[in-house]
Formats: sequence, structure tokens, C-alpha cells
Amino acid sequence: MLLEIQEVQKKFNNGNVIALNNVSLNLEQGNILAVVGESGSGKTTLIRLVAGLETLDKGEIIINNKMVSSNSIFIEPQDRKVGMVFQDYALFPHFTVFDNIAYGISKLSNKKERVDEVLQLVGLDDLGNRYPHELSGGQQQRVALARALAPKPELLILDEPFSNLDIILRNKLREDLLKILKKTKSTVIFVTHDIKDALLISDDILVLQKGILLQTGKTTEVYKKPNCKYVSLLFETIAL
Amino acid sequence: MKKIFINIKRDTNKWSILLLTIVLFIGIPIITIFINLIYGPGETWVHLVKNLLSDYLINSFFLIIGTSFFTLLFGVLSAWIVVRYQIPFRKQMQWLLILPLAIPSYITAYSYAGIFDYGGFFEKIFNLKIDIMNHFGLILVLSFSLYPYVYVTTRAFFLNQSKNIIEASKLLGAGERKTFLKLILPLARPAFIGGLTLVLMEVLNDYGAAKYFGINTFTTGIFRAWFSLEELETAIYLAALLVLIIFIIILLEKRQRRRIGYFNAVKNHQQIKRIKTSKIKQILLFIFVLIPVLIGFLLPLFQLMFWAFLTFKELLTLDFLYIAFQSLGISLFSATVTVLFTLFLIYFSKWNRLKYVKSIAKIGMLGYAIPGAVIAVGVLIPTLFIDKNIVLFFNDFLNIKIGFIINGTILVLIYAYMIRYLAVAYSPIEASSLKLGKSLSETSKLLGKGNLYTFKKIEFPLLKPAILSALILVFVDVMKELPLTLILKPYHINTLAVKAYEYASDEMIAEAALPSLFIIFTGILPILFLNKVISKN
Repeated sequence: MLLEIQEVQKKFNNGNVIALNNVSLNLEQGNILAVVGESGSGKTTLIRLVAGLETLDKGEIIINNKMVSSNSIFIEPQDRKVGMVFQDYALFPHFTVFDNIAYGISKLSNKKERVDEVLQLVGLDDLGNRYPHELSGGQQQRVALARALAPKPELLILDEPFSNLDIILRNKLREDLLKILKKTKSTVIFVTHDIKDALLISDDILVLQKGILLQTGKTTEVYKKPNCKYVSLLFETIAL
Repeated sequence: MKKIFINIKRDTNKWSILLLTIVLFIGIPIITIFINLIYGPGETWVHLVKNLLSDYLINSFFLIIGTSFFTLLFGVLSAWIVVRYQIPFRKQMQWLLILPLAIPSYITAYSYAGIFDYGGFFEKIFNLKIDIMNHFGLILVLSFSLYPYVYVTTRAFFLNQSKNIIEASKLLGAGERKTFLKLILPLARPAFIGGLTLVLMEVLNDYGAAKYFGINTFTTGIFRAWFSLEELETAIYLAALLVLIIFIIILLEKRQRRRIGYFNAVKNHQQIKRIKTSKIKQILLFIFVLIPVLIGFLLPLFQLMFWAFLTFKELLTLDFLYIAFQSLGISLFSATVTVLFTLFLIYFSKWNRLKYVKSIAKIGMLGYAIPGAVIAVGVLIPTLFIDKNIVLFFNDFLNIKIGFIINGTILVLIYAYMIRYLAVAYSPIEASSLKLGKSLSETSKLLGKGNLYTFKKIEFPLLKPAILSALILVFVDVMKELPLTLILKPYHINTLAVKAYEYASDEMIAEAALPSLFIIFTGILPILFLNKVISKN
């Protein structure tokens, strides 16, 4: 198992709001997991806990057999080997595309080769000298992906990767993204509120509602056998 | 309970400890004042309560009521006029209305004392003698030098309002006056009360103007108790009382802010449309906004320039330039230290994981609410305590006789400036840091970089404009500062503000003009810069 989450709980507002309640999951190396739920379901909290951007109140998180979060242990995000693409891409506005990607591999001896390699991977070979504001939304997202992939993270997290894109671009990028992720054999968690994204890209799925895990398993199995009304309704929206 | 301790242990990092250390360092003066209350007041306290306290209370009350009325009148109406109406020189008036802030109120007080004095401009032109060295005169001087706080906050609010709200009111049949009184004014309340709170802080902090006009206030009382009666204990009691009054004002401000939840309710809006009225009305409105500019800025400036013209040949010596450079140097250094501590507070709090400790960084906002004289008392007590013990240690254990090490040095002064003006730097830097969002720094960390590296490479370059404006704002404030400087400055060091005060106190008011002008001109440019920043946002 690359990622093991055991009975994780997280509360906000001095314990008045339970964002996640006893959520557990396992993710195998090389698999893509979709975390699905409406806003406020706890999806973002879950990935932030895994990335080390929040501390948990209860439970354990283990990445690659190493305990990274528990009641008594907290490994800083910079030491977790987790990469992340944020919803707003979070490109450093004062750096060029090349410098953005090189940022996480500054100590690497063949830095330039690696940047060129990932730029090629995302299909932006000739845009290294541009600044983020000179790129389109789709290009910005690819840069953010290239930047996250450059240090070869053990686990890659994508937070709502398509939410800022229009529908045509969205379909194109979905295919491209899947190809890139499979080519790099990345282990991925991606968060979405669109069940279509989950069906087309993921191997595994986890459905959250109000901080509670409703169902998790192989995406195709969950699709075939939803265990509650909410999950079956979720899949029905695609059929419509 | 055990779980909480385990969590605290897990979440405590070096930043939590550094944050707590800095918070303690900043909080010492205030804590000191309240701890020292247990030793009881000095011998003159009873006399003071019997004979003077009511005077301090009544005078401060009158000053608060009077300045509130005039600063609101001119601040709010001027802001509405320049935002809503097409008037002659509208663009120029927008920034001219801010400029009185460049003249410290004690300097405005000196120039008005001159304008209305025997042989002053007023008597020469109107052949009339009016005595302004009284409560009403002080209220006017403070009002016209401080109304820009209300003007700036209210204008920013009006600029952020949507035109839809006025159009809706008009469609419901309300006229221009009714729309302003029933809709705009109540909506703008949090903005102008916020500005008014700053005005009242400055009124209660004022020493120079009240002293010159001979009005007893809490701040002049603290000086008197400390230096004339030589009773620090009594000064501490007065300081504590003053802090109490200020906290009541802040509490009232917070309460009214909480009750109004619709402040800035509209986003992505079209700005309020300007309307064109008849020529006569335009001129009348122009005259109205000209009054505060004239009284608060142009008249005192001309008076000072006239005096400076008369005296500059004798005054512009090497000694004067030396003081000017000392002033600039101290202000620049203090501003740098203040900005540095602001960054420590904001970022150590961000990097610390202990959630109970996070909000403690807000202590940085406290200093501005506490008058300079109070901070001076609070700084002097612990530094004296440390110095005395160092002297004793050297004397008793090493048999070496030494003098005070910390007191009487510039370090104490800079420490006090830092505490007083932390809030001035804190607001713009915190606002920009929040605007930057979390995702950039979080991305950097997920790319394997630590907090300091992230700050150096990502946050600092993007925060530079905010850091620069914080630096300028503190610099200008330190240049103008009087009460704190008077108490804590070392003997061999002088500032332009103190020099102006000394000349004015020695009845050499014309001589006070040159250092005053110097302070004003170093203040004008940054204020214009700030105005540009506010208009942009």
C-alpha cells in the first residue's frame, strides 16, 4: 500500500464543525483515486491532511510505510514527498515557467534536462521563458502539473483539476492528464465534485458526504453496486 | 486531557517558541503597568484625585465630543462630496484633503497660536483679536489636523459602494438628501467610526498641542506626575486609567462593527456615479471641502513658511542639519526594526502549528491604541529594573562600579517606537499576506522547501510593495512622534520634533517653523503615495 488512512478525524471552529469523521482508506501504488463529494463534504480537508497542510485530531496517515500524521507525530509537508496541483494552480507569478518547474529540483545536477523532460511530457516544450500571466488557463494547469511531477513525488494530489476550465478544454485535458499520469506511473488522489471526471479517470473512488465516508472501492464496482441512495443518485446524474 | 498535551507536544515547533518570546517582548510594557498597580499609587494620588482628576476627565470628555463632531462633519461630508459630485478641482481636492495628516497636531497648534497672536496675521488683516488658547481652540486645531482619518476610511468605503444601491433608493422615490441620510450614512457607519476611533486615539495621545494650549489632559497629567511631582507610581495609575478609557472606546467600536454585518456587502460592482449640479451649488460644495484643507493644511503651512523665511538664516546651521540627519536616521532605523518585528509576528504565527497561540500575534495591533506616554512608562520600568540589577551585580559580585547600560541609550527609544507603531506596519503587511493566499507558500513546501526559503523566494518578493508602504508609514510616524521621544530620548540625541517643541515651549515659536517644515515635507510624499495605494485598492 502506498497510502493508508486510518479512522481520521478533523474538527474546525474549536471542535464545533466536524469536517471528517473516522475516514479510512487504502491506495495501492500506481492507482488513481477520485475523492468525490459536494462542497463541504470534507474532500479538501482529506487531501490537506495527507499533504501535511493540516494536523489531524484523531487517526493515522501512513505514506509508503512511514507514519506521517498521528496524534503524536507530524511530518512537515516538505518532508512527505507529496506533490500537489492546487485548484488555482498557485504558479509563482514572478518566476518564468522554467523557474517554476525548476523550483522543486533546485539541488538536482541535471535540473535543466529534467525540466525539459516534464515540459515535453505536458506538451509545453517551447514555453519555458514565458511568465504565468502570459499563458492560457489550460497551459497554466499543465505547468502546475509539470512542476508537481518534476521532483518525482511518491504521491500526487490534484485538487479540482478541471474546475477552472471550460467544457471543451476540460474534455481534452481529461484525456491528456490520464495519459500523462499513466505514463509516469504516478499514484494519484484527485478531488472532484464532477462524477464524470471520476468515472473516466480513476481506478478507485471514495464518496464523502458531510465528512462521512459513504462508500469506497474500485470505481467500476461502486458504479455497479452503489450502497446507498446518495451514491446511486450521484451516478444517475451522468446517465441524465 | 492527556490527548491535549500530546497534541500540544506534537504541534509545538521552534516557531511557536519564537512567537511566544516575541509576544512577551512586545507585551512587557503593558504587563508592567498592570503589575505595578498592585504597589499602590504615590503620595500625591489623593491630591490628584481630589483636585485634578475631574479636570482630566472633563477635559478629555470635551475633547472627545468636540473632535468627534468636527472630524465627522468634515471627514464624512468631504468624502461624500468628492465621490458623488462634480466640483471644480475635484481630483486635486481628493488628495489635498489628506494632507493635514502631514502636519503633526502640535505644529498646527503652534502655527495657529501665531496666526491669532498679537501682531499675527489675523489681527493684521481683520484688526480683531481672538483668543484661541482654550478648549474650543484645541478642539478646532485637533479636529482640522485629524479629520483626514475619517475622510480616508469613509472615502474608501464610498468608492467601494455599488451605484445600484443609490439607483434602487432613487427608484423607490427617495431624493438625494434622503438617500444620503437614510441609506448611505448608516451604511458607512463602520467606516467612519473606524476612522473616528483613530482620531480619538490621537486626541488622547496628544501632548504637544494640549500642553501648548494649557489644557490638562491625561497625557499632560502623566508628564506632570512623573516629571514635576516625580512620582512614577502616580503616573502609572493615570496611565492605567487612560488605557481603560481607550479599551472602552475600542470595545464600543468593535460592538458597533459586529452589529453591522452588511459592510462591503457588494462585490464586483460599478462605482457610484458622479452627478453634475448647478454652477452655484458646485462652488458652494467646493468651498465646503476647501475649508478643512485651508484650515488644516494651507494656512498653517503658509504661517510656518513665513516664520521659516524670517529665521532660516540663523537656524540653518550644521547643528540643525545634524539633528535633521539624526531624526532621519532614527526614524529609518526604527521603521526597519518595526517592520522586521511585524514580519516576525505574522510569519512565526503562520509557521507555528499550535492553534491556541496563533491569534496571539494580534498583540501587534495593541501598541497604536496605547498613548506614547503610557508606553514610555511601561518601557522605562522594566529597563530600569534590569539596569539596576546589572549595576548591583557588578558592584556586589565583581566589585566594579558601572552606570546604566540600557537606559539612556537609543535602544530603549527604538524599542518603544517599535511597540507603539507595530500596528501601523502590521495592517498593510497582514492584509497583503492574506491577499497572497496560502496556496503559493503551501506549494513551495510541497516542493520540498522550508519556511525560511519559501519566505525568501516566494513571499518576500511578492510582499515588497506592502513592506515598503509599512516602512514609509512607520518612518513618517516616528519623525512626528513627540511624547514618547521627550521621555525616552538620550541626552545627546535630538529629533526635529523635540527641537520644534523646545523652541515653541521657550516662546521662540518662529524658530519652531524650520524643523516643523522639515517634518511636514518628509511626510507629504509618503501620504500621497499611500493615497495612490488606497485609490488603487
